[in-house]
Amino acid sequence: MAEIRGKCTFPGGAHPPENKQFGENCPVEVATVPKQVSILLSQHIGAPCEPLVAKREAVTVGQVIGQSDAFVSAPIHSPINGTVKDIALLPHPVIGRTMGIIIDADAENNTPKQPVNARFDKDFNPTDFTPEKICMSVRQAGLVGMGGAGFPTQVKIEPNPRLEKKVLIINGCECEPFITCDYRVMLEWVWQVIAGIRLAAHAAGVNKIRIGIEDNKPEAIKIVSDTIEQLGNIGDIQVVPLKTKYPQGGERQLIKSILGKTVPTGSIPPTIGVCVLNVATCAAIAEAVIVGNPLTHRIVTVSGCAISKPGNYYVPIGMRVEDLIEYCGGLTETAAKVIMGGPMMGFAIADLSTPLTKTSGALTFLTKAAVTRAKYEKQVTACIRCGRCLTACPEHLNPTKIAHAVKYNKLDLAKDYYLSACMECGCCSFVCPANIEITGYIKTGKILDARAKKRLG
Amino acid sequence: MLSKITVSPAPHISQDLSTRGVMGDVIIALVPAIAAAVWFFRFQAVWVIATCVLSCMASEWICNIIRKKPNSLGDLSAILTGLILAFSLPPTIPLWAAAIGSAFAIVIAKMLFGGLGCNVFNPAMAARAFMAASLGALMTTWTVPATMGEVHCKGQEANALAAIHAENTYDGSNGEIALTQATPLAWAKSAQKGKADVQLVNQMVKPTFYGGVGGCLGETSVLALLIGGVYLLIRKTISFHIPAAVLIAAAAFVGIFYLISPDKYANPAFHLFSGGMLICAFFIATDPVTAPLSVKGMWIFGVGVGALVMLIRLIGELPEGVMYAVLIMNALTPLIDRACKLMPAGGKPNVS
Repeated sequence: MAEIRGKCTFPGGAHPPENKQFGENCPVEVATVPKQVSILLSQHIGAPCEPLVAKREAVTVGQVIGQSDAFVSAPIHSPINGTVKDIALLPHPVIGRTMGIIIDADAENNTPKQPVNARFDKDFNPTDFTPEKICMSVRQAGLVGMGGAGFPTQVKIEPNPRLEKKVLIINGCECEPFITCDYRVMLEWVWQVIAGIRLAAHAAGVNKIRIGIEDNKPEAIKIVSDTIEQLGNIGDIQVVPLKTKYPQGGERQLIKSILGKTVPTGSIPPTIGVCVLNVATCAAIAEAVIVGNPLTHRIVTVSGCAISKPGNYYVPIGMRVEDLIEYCGGLTETAAKVIMGGPMMGFAIADLSTPLTKTSGALTFLTKAAVTRAKYEKQVTACIRCGRCLTACPEHLNPTKIAHAVKYNKLDLAKDYYLSACMECGCCSFVCPANIEITGYIKTGKILDARAKKRLG
Repeated sequence: MLSKITVSPAPHISQDLSTRGVMGDVIIALVPAIAAAVWFFRFQAVWVIATCVLSCMASEWICNIIRKKPNSLGDLSAILTGLILAFSLPPTIPLWAAAIGSAFAIVIAKMLFGGLGCNVFNPAMAARAFMAASLGALMTTWTVPATMGEVHCKGQEANALAAIHAENTYDGSNGEIALTQATPLAWAKSAQKGKADVQLVNQMVKPTFYGGVGGCLGETSVLALLIGGVYLLIRKTISFHIPAAVLIAAAAFVGIFYLISPDKYANPAFHLFSGGMLICAFFIATDPVTAPLSVKGMWIFGVGVGALVMLIRLIGELPEGVMYAVLIMNALTPLIDRACKLMPAGGKPNVS
C-alpha cells in the first residue's frame, strides 16, 4: 500500500498512541441476541422521548416504543421481539440516571439482525427519493449522529431557508485511539455509506461533498476513492486525506482542516453553510431510506488490553455492557476501567448494567497498569505554567486559567476566558506534565454555570 | 467478576510526561555547563554547586514539614533552583553565603509565595539580588579560572587576555593569596568609559565562546550553554520564543550603539556571548512559572528582558544586568498575561 500523506490539518491538538491494532483487522461480527435489553428514552441531544408502550406489552423488532413531538428529538425503537418488563430509572453513561424501557427477549422468536450492506451496489440513484421523503424516513428511523454527539440527523440535513447548506462533510476520521468501528464500516459497507452520503446530499440540496479520512487509514482512503471512481460522474465528491492528529474528527477541526474555515465560537456549522455527518450515520441513512429499517443496531468497537476478545460487533442498541462483555469472552483479571467511548473523550462507567446507546461507538477496557500509569503513578503537582495546554488546545483557549478559575470557584473569571468555547476534547489534560484534570475542571465549570443560569431563571 | 472499577473524568490516558521529567530535562541540559564550571574552576565550583543544591533541598524539605505539605523534593525544582543560583555566583563566594542565599531563594522567594508554580519572581534571581544587596564585595570578586594558563590563544586574542592578566591583583589581606581578575563585561565597561581599548574587548569573543574567562560559575563557557539550550529546544522542553526574543532584542539594542560608535562600544557578538546573557536566554528567562503563558506574551517578555539587560549594561552603572532585567520582567508577567489574553479560534462568542 502506497503511503498516503494528508496535508490538511488544524492548529493545536495532540498525538495520543493510536492503539487501533485491537480491532483494525477484525471484520464486523454479529452478536447474539441478549436475554434482556434496556432502551434509554434519552439517547440524543434534544427532548427525551415519552414511552409509547406499557408494562407487559408485547413488542416486535422495529416497533416505535418512545417518541416526542419536539422538533429536536428522535424516536426510539425496539431492537428485538419480546415483552416490556418495566419502565424504570436506568444508568446512563453520560447523564447519570434516566428513564428507560426494559424489554425481555422472546426466547423462541429471535434471530440476530444481520447488516444490510449486501443490498447496496453500483446501481442506485438517490433522485428516486424526494428530499421530503428522505427527511421523513430519517426522522421516523430515529437517526442521530452516531459519532458521539447524537444530534438528530433529520434536523441536520433538512434544508433551512435561512441557512443555506453549501458543503456536506463526511467524517471518517475516527481520531479517538482504540476505536475502529467507522474504519470497518468504510471497508465493509462502502456501497451503503456512499448511498447514504448521496441521499443526504440530495436531501440537503448540497452539491459539494468532501469525505475526510485520517492518513493512518490508507486502506479506507483507497477503497472509498475507488468506489467513487467506479460510480463515474456523480458530482463534486472527493476524499480528503487528513493528517493523523487528535481531535481531527472534531466537527470544528474537520471543517478547518478541509475548508480552511472557522466556525464562529458558540455557533454550529450550518452558520457557515456546512453540514457534517459521520460515516456510520450515512450508512444508517441508506438503511433507513432504502430498506426502511429504523436505527436499532450499530457497530460497537470492543477494545483494550483488558478484554479477552476485542473486535467490532454488530449489536442491538440497548444491549447492556455486561452482556457484551460476556459475549466477548469476559474481562481479564487486570481490568480496572470500563469506558463508554474512547480513552480521550469517553465516559468511565461504574455500573456494568449501563446499556449501549445510539452514540456508543466503542467500549474500551483499560488494565490496572494503564490506569495507574496515566492517573496515579504521576501524582498531581502544581501547575508550572509551562503552556503545553495552550499549545495543544485546538480551540485556542487558555485551559489552565479556566481550570484554575473553576477550581477556586471563580466562575466569572472562567467565563471571561471563554469557558463555554471548550469542546472537552481532553488534549490539555493529556499533555499536562503536572497531571492536572484540566478537562475535568472545565466540565465541572460548565455544569456549575448551567446550574447558576437555571437558578436565575 | 471484577471487584473494583475506577471512574474518573476523561481523558483516561495521558502523555508520558511529568513535572519531574520537565525539571529533569533542564537539569540534564545544565550538565555541560556544570562540567565546564568544574573544569574551569575545579573544586571551588564543586563546593559552591554542592552547597547551593543541598541548601535548597534542605530548605524545601523543612518548609514542607512546617507547612504540613507532602514532600515536594521529588519534582526536582529545588535542585534546579540551586544549580541556577550557583551558576550566577562568583566562584570565590564563601560557602556560608551560598547556603544563606539558597535558603533565601527557597524560603522567601518560593515557599512563602505558595511553593512551586506560585512564585512571582525567579527564586534564583531573587536570591542573587538579595545577596548582591547584602554581601557587597563578596559578590564581585572574580577568580581566574584554574585553566587560565592552559588557554592557548594566538595573536590578538592573546593580547586581550594578557591585558586582563595585567589587571589581576594579588589580594593578600587574609594571608591567603587569591588571583582575581576583572570580568570581560567589567572590561567592556571601562572601555566604554575610555579607560581601555575596545578592540581588545572585541577580541575576547573567542575565549568567551569556549570558556576560560572570569565570571560567574555558569557563565564562562558559551559552548556548554548552547549545547544545553539546543537540547532543551530539541526536547521541546522550552519553546524557541523567549530565547529568540531575548537574543534578538539584545543584539538589536547593542547593534545600534555599536553602529553609532564602534570605538566606544563592544560588538554585539561580545555582548551576546559574555556574562549571563545565554544562561538567561535559555535557562532563567524561560522558567515557565515566572514567564508569560501565551506566545505573544513570551515575545514581549523576551524582548523586555533582552532590552533591559543591554540598557543596564550600556547605559546603567552596573556591568551586568541579567538579574534586574529578569526580576523586572517577572514583575510584569501577570500584566503581560492579562494583556495577551487568547482569543478563541472561532472569535469572540456572540452570547456570553
